[in-house]
Amino acid sequence: MSILIEISENVQNGRMKAVKELVAAALEQNISPVEILNNGLSEGMNLIGEKFKTGEVYVPEVLVAARAMNAGVQILKPLLTEEGAPAKGKVCIGTVQGDMHDIGKNLVKMMMEGKGLEVVDLGTDVAPETFVQTAIEHNCQVICCSALLTTTMEVMAEVVKEAEKAGVRDTIKIMIGGAPLSDEYCQKIGADCYCADAASAADMVVELCK
Amino acid sequence: MTERERFIKALRREPIDGHCPTFELVFYLTLEAIGKIHPSQQRFDQWKQMSKTEQKLHMDYMADSYIEVAEKYHHSAIFVHPNPGDFENTLRLLSCIREKTGDKYFLMMHGDCTFEIPNGENMLAFSERMYEDEEGLKKEAQHRLEDKLRYAEKMAKHKGLLDGFALCSDYCFNVNPFFSPSMFETFIAPYLAALCKGYRDMGFYTIKHTDGNIMPILDQMVQCGPDALHSLDPQGGVDLATVKKMYGDKVALCGNVNCGLLQTGTQEEVIADVRRCLRDGMDGWGFVFCTSNCAYTGLPLERYELMNRIWWDEGIYG
Repeated sequence: MSILIEISENVQNGRMKAVKELVAAALEQNISPVEILNNGLSEGMNLIGEKFKTGEVYVPEVLVAARAMNAGVQILKPLLTEEGAPAKGKVCIGTVQGDMHDIGKNLVKMMMEGKGLEVVDLGTDVAPETFVQTAIEHNCQVICCSALLTTTMEVMAEVVKEAEKAGVRDTIKIMIGGAPLSDEYCQKIGADCYCADAASAADMVVELCK
Repeated sequence: MTERERFIKALRREPIDGHCPTFELVFYLTLEAIGKIHPSQQRFDQWKQMSKTEQKLHMDYMADSYIEVAEKYHHSAIFVHPNPGDFENTLRLLSCIREKTGDKYFLMMHGDCTFEIPNGENMLAFSERMYEDEEGLKKEAQHRLEDKLRYAEKMAKHKGLLDGFALCSDYCFNVNPFFSPSMFETFIAPYLAALCKGYRDMGFYTIKHTDGNIMPILDQMVQCGPDALHSLDPQGGVDLATVKKMYGDKVALCGNVNCGLLQTGTQEEVIADVRRCLRDGMDGWGFVFCTSNCAYTGLPLERYELMNRIWWDEGIYG
């Protein structure tokens, strides 16, 4: 079995220690850090994301897989910087103003990092102008807004308006997600896309960043 | 028949005449509905400094809040949030409600011991423990169970005060449960089953609440033996008619009015959803009509009252 497949499988099984050992071994075999990242670590995370979408695995399995992947990434990070490997895109994410729920937001963040995206985490209770200003300052391609409450999801419409006001609506995409949301609501407020789960959200952001 | 008796009959899935019982796990809209601050939103930093008279006045105020809401909306049960929450003051509040209403209402309190979805900060650490510290986590689950049963034993000595416990640990997201079925089997089900049995042996009823898509763990939840399942969240894809068909002979069902529609749907959508819920839930016995969460802060009161009015007009057996 190829060592990259082994890395992928151990990521999927959440075996952090094994992933670290295998990444080190792959580097010793002169496999490039980018190849280890793309065909080993990210591949494993992509597969677990697909399984999550089809209900084959659950959140804790995704989390330990992400932990294993991140342990491998930490080893590669200095080498990737040397190689100049670019991130697949840059996004900011937060739970909207008035809402302190961070579970869904953190899951999406983790899945996006697993996809090689650079993520600016704004935390919870984030004002519409903070989303937009952060996206501008950090050159983010996508703003990701999360809400758990039907009473706070309406803040997302304010984020769209704020982006229009700042003149960046055409250049920055806005993605929304959270328990009470729907595609219909996304269209109603003029956001770009709605995703029902963390894995789909990460896939969508990669597409939006292309 | 008192509201309490009607509620108990619903939990036992026994036939009842007249209205299908209703209640809310929490009714936060008290200020708007009855001009009183919800008991859980009051702070008593100086409680111990207060005279007994002042404490009694606060107890009366809180008890009246619960009772007035129940009377206004014809609730059969009251979910009590003791404040202050120590045992002595919990007894005082329950006694106060009983003194004012006798056995009219079914009284319940929080009483879950099982793990719930951890918050975002602890989620990874908790997930790691399920993989790397199974025995430690089971030990913790056992301690939590024993704590709750000890509390219930103390409460059971005060006969006629409390009728049951609502078990409110959330297990599920909209898409899926947090716990896989095998994780649920290991870390939740044994303790949930022991809790339900322990409470039942002491004479308490149990209503197991969780939001989200319960379908992958529903069978296990039912096997654990709660008297009722609460919320049956349509936003998590839970179909009341399906659950009723699958488990209506084993467990009572509460909830299922779509909170998303109550908040943002049109009037026509709300009316249709309430009627659907009544139709599917009241098919057979063992149904308690309510929202699929609670009357939460920010919910337009007129929408709750619309839902309640339709129930009053149409939620009648026979």
